[in-house]
Amino acid sequence: MLRATATGDREAFTQLVGSTRDGVWRLIRNLTSDPAAAEDVLQETYVAVWRSASTYRGEGSARAWIHGLARRLSARSWRRRAGEPSTLVPLQELGAQAGWGRDPEELTAALEDRQLLASALEQLAPHDRQILVLCDLEGLSGPEAGALLDLTPSAARVRLHRARLRLMAQLRGGSDG
Amino acid sequence: MADVPAARLEGGLWCHEVLERLDAYVDGSLPSDQRAAIEAHLAACDQCERFGGAYALLVGALRRGLGAARPLGSERARRLERHLQRILEES
Ligand SMILES: [Zn+2]
Repeated sequence: MLRATATGDREAFTQLVGSTRDGVWRLIRNLTSDPAAAEDVLQETYVAVWRSASTYRGEGSARAWIHGLARRLSARSWRRRAGEPSTLVPLQELGAQAGWGRDPEELTAALEDRQLLASALEQLAPHDRQILVLCDLEGLSGPEAGALLDLTPSAARVRLHRARLRLMAQLRGGSDG
Repeated sequence: MADVPAARLEGGLWCHEVLERLDAYVDGSLPSDQRAAIEAHLAACDQCERFGGAYALLVGALRRGLGAARPLGSERARRLERHLQRILEES
């Protein structure tokens, strides 16, 4: 379908959109907290698919290629909206907020609830959510995610670790102040 | 500021050093000597052992995915269709 789309076949393009849009939406929605912004990215993604289908080299699946476009456009979208974190909280403090040294019972119970997990993810800062979605939900390696976010592999790892701790803190009901 | 838990030295590592390496430990990307040191610490330090377990569960829960928690919805699908229709007409 992607090949046919590349030759300007509109029917093929419509079918391609229909068969991939749910997965593409899920990816973008997880990467982007604002639903309106996510919808913009969804539309931009398919416009990009239509316009650049001819550059698809047939490496990997069409779906993977479209998801790659969606990730790049999502990354661009949040960089438009959010600055870098300005303060660096010490890791030990993040750990303490995440429940290090306490009974993790409450946290592990929260993990059973997908809605709770989704809404905690939603409340994270964009740079934290971004790296978590790319690495833990989408399964990219640290260096792959780093390349998308303009981070060195080690900076990507540090950011991922911190983002997980912040998510744990969020699931515990926020920090202890 | 949240209280940082008591510092313990077990397996040649302090608790905060375990915390720093927890991601690599959970991801399985540590060299075997460092992995062994963490395991020695976890065997002796209850607070790190429990926290490490919660951390690993979180990573596992994320990897299993949030799945269909937020469907596209027919309204949004229609708007996408209309938007693309306009783009196609322009091209
Ligand atoms: Zn410890």
